[in-house]
Amino acid sequence: MDKKTGVYICHCGLGGSTETEEILKKLPKGSIVKDSQYLCDITEQELLIKDINEKDLEQVVVACFASDVHRSIFKKVGDEVGFLPNLIKIEESDDVVEKIIAALDDLKPIKPEETEVDVNPSVLVIGAGIVGEQASLDIGDAGYKVYLVERRPNIGGHMAQLDKTFPTLDCASCIGTPKMVATGQHPNIELLTCSEVIEVSGHAGEFKVKVLRHPRYVDENECTGCGICVDNCPAVVASEFNLGVGPRKAIYIPFAQAIPLAAIRDPEHCLSCRMCEYVCDKKAIRFDQEEEIIEFEVGSILVTTGFELFNCDLRPELGYDKYDRVINALELERLCAPTGPTAGEILIHGKPPKNIVFVQCVGSRDKNVGNEYCSRVCCMYATKQCNLVREKVPDAKFTICYTDIRAFGKGHEEFYNRMQDEGVIYLRGIVSEVYRGENGMMKVRVENTLMVEPVELEADLVVLSAGLVAPADTPQLANMLNLDVGDDKFLAEAHVNIRPMETRVKGIYMAGCAQGPKDISDSVAQTSGAAAKATIPISFGKVKIGPEDEVKVVKETTATAAPIEKEVTG
Amino acid sequence: MEFVDEIIETGGPILGSEHMETLRVCMQCGKCTGGCPSGRLTAIRTRKMILSALLNMRDEVLSSDELWLCTTCYTCYERCPRNVKVTDITRTIRNIAGREGYLAKSHRMAASYVIKTGHGVPINDAVKESRKKLGLSEIPPTTHAYKDALKGIQTLAKKTKFDELIDFDWETMNLKE
Ligand SMILES: Cc1cc2nc3c(=O)[nH]c(=O)nc-3n(C[C@H](O)[C@H](O)[C@H](O)COP(=O)(O)OP(=O)(O)OC[C@H]3O[C@@H](n4cnc5c(N)ncnc54)[C@H](O)[C@@H]3O)c2cc1C
Ligand code: SF4
Ligand code: SF4
Ligand code: SF4
Ligand code: SF4
Ligand code: SF4
Repeated sequence: MDKKTGVYICHCGLGGSTETEEILKKLPKGSIVKDSQYLCDITEQELLIKDINEKDLEQVVVACFASDVHRSIFKKVGDEVGFLPNLIKIEESDDVVEKIIAALDDLKPIKPEETEVDVNPSVLVIGAGIVGEQASLDIGDAGYKVYLVERRPNIGGHMAQLDKTFPTLDCASCIGTPKMVATGQHPNIELLTCSEVIEVSGHAGEFKVKVLRHPRYVDENECTGCGICVDNCPAVVASEFNLGVGPRKAIYIPFAQAIPLAAIRDPEHCLSCRMCEYVCDKKAIRFDQEEEIIEFEVGSILVTTGFELFNCDLRPELGYDKYDRVINALELERLCAPTGPTAGEILIHGKPPKNIVFVQCVGSRDKNVGNEYCSRVCCMYATKQCNLVREKVPDAKFTICYTDIRAFGKGHEEFYNRMQDEGVIYLRGIVSEVYRGENGMMKVRVENTLMVEPVELEADLVVLSAGLVAPADTPQLANMLNLDVGDDKFLAEAHVNIRPMETRVKGIYMAGCAQGPKDISDSVAQTSGAAAKATIPISFGKVKIGPEDEVKVVKETTATAAPIEKEVTG
Repeated sequence: MEFVDEIIETGGPILGSEHMETLRVCMQCGKCTGGCPSGRLTAIRTRKMILSALLNMRDEVLSSDELWLCTTCYTCYERCPRNVKVTDITRTIRNIAGREGYLAKSHRMAASYVIKTGHGVPINDAVKESRKKLGLSEIPPTTHAYKDALKGIQTLAKKTKFDELIDFDWETMNLKE
């Protein structure tokens, strides 16, 4: 450490340092240490440049709280003096002197060696829920090519499984299907279903992508979705799309509005009778179809891999694995949906339920299962589901047992108010346990916290408002793309306030529930924003990149063994 | 000192201060009260007790009868979504209450058996029978089998002033009054 050094301690997050003298003592002659109020300010930066030039500083260290966010701000300095200041992140608990001196020990000079590269005018979108669809449509409409990679046999994600949506009670199919159809038909969108990204390399402007396409065993282009093969297939298994509530065949079309509308054969349950091949007059069945690797290049990547539903077995006292009168909220959506396995008829043990208790915050706001966050949608979806069930069972009674009602979105409080007006009882207290009473009905133990009284409710149906968790393979996906995962196990954004759609890798963006739980309104708003972000370098045509922007190839991938649908529905 | 800090400080040396600090983050969800097996039959309202402690209602908490109605079954402790170490906090509050002379009669009684027999719950015929069935010796290898060890326990009770804490009368070998 013999270089003339400038140390600048910014007040941001630190409130400055009183120990400038102490640091100076440890530096070579001619060095300076300064306390600065706002180093990100342009005049402060000019002073910095002046210092470097006048005092012939050979290296500069900036100690501040938001070092991740501020790197690019010092570009001007780099341009003027030929090197960039080294940024050190200091947190309140740190010993400022110690941390700065330690960092000085092996300080590597950062040269502003950015190069300008051309941008490939196409985008990879990973995950085709409502969020992936909307982004693809926006980017496609902007005139750029989109590769939309979806692991399941069809697009639509969780929204395709919903009956109606809060806060307006729109029919989910009526607002979701047109988006799916538009995505399927858009000339700029190349839809790759049954597919997973297995390798990414390169950098913003030019990412090289490898996609593994699992066999569907049906030629998507030839199949018309007539369903004759399905009718004739003798092998019956539980339907993943309907969360096991109804059956499907070994060759199947997940649901009537599926896009692409094509059958898929599940080799695990297939009896190899070849009946499907025999009855298909389009000759669309392909028993010899194999895995395929598809390679292409894109300018930007957008991750929209959504969420999984919390596994309610992790709260065994709620009896989800024990009693068939205890179901999760997504199962209730399928039971209510006219497209569902019961065509919208809600029958529990052959009878419409009359006494329904909702258990809120299952797997959310729960450190005990490792999910500290609030899932943000379950208060409203439970409120909505009371309405859905009431339409079919007008004399049913509803009790929602909650910790706090979170109705912060546009129209949410009004909707909450409306359902209270319609007789839904909101009981403040988190359900402690559910078990079967002697008459076969469920007993729900909960404290009515506002009355300071533990009570026992009787219910013929208990609905667990399960939280939204990050897809189980998020760590591997993050690894492959060189992204970070947050404490909540969702993908981490570059900065939650001011760069919520960017990731730590230049050129890779994210939106929707991949970043954290949110409702459809927020998801769609965010994804249009992310789509705009992803197209900025494309419309400009060039992007500046440095050595740190290169994506390191990670061989471990998220690819699953086919059949593909299995682990996705949650 | 605020009551919350007093509880945390009292339990800290034995249970760990991080463990005790969990008291501060109770979100008043009621999961504890809702599943408390004692609360089904008695007046204990676990969440309210935690809230009263958080609101520094020292006298109310220490003098309350419900403080002694917890069976220390640890159900609330296991289920709490904020990982509040409820049962251990209750036990710590009891220690403070004990020092202040609020020890419940039933608990003093159980404690007197420890001095008298070395056991809070001395052996009885039913237990002997069960032990035999399980293939164990009828009498456990404790003060029941080693009468001399009881002297050691009684010395400990005196040295630690446990006898004074529960108002034990060495003359009658019973609680005073
Ligand atoms: C029971 C329930 C009811 C709800 N009701 C409402 C409501 O009424 N109103 C409302 O606004 N919101 C509601 N929501 C929330 C709503 O479902 C979400 O806001 C929305 O679905 C988020 O969309 P998404 O595209 O981000 O995620 P998803 O719908 O989860 O889509 C993600 C897609 O990515 C795919 N994928 C994941 N990983 C990979 C990978 N590695 N490679 C390729 N593809 C991958 C998945 O297969 C999936 O198709 C509800 C949620 C639940 C659970
Ligand atoms: S595979 Fe053939 S029979 Fe089956 S849905 Fe497609 S076109 Fe119809
Ligand atoms: S070959 Fe398989 S998928 Fe086709 S009809 Fe027979 S069991 Fe069904
Ligand atoms: S939205 Fe409501 S039910 Fe869901 S985690 Fe948040 S508070 Fe609990
Ligand atoms: S369960 Fe935990 S967080 Fe909930 S009221 Fe009880 S102590 Fe507080
Ligand atoms: S430990 Fe005590 S307060 Fe907690 S559930 Fe058991 S009896 Fe109730």
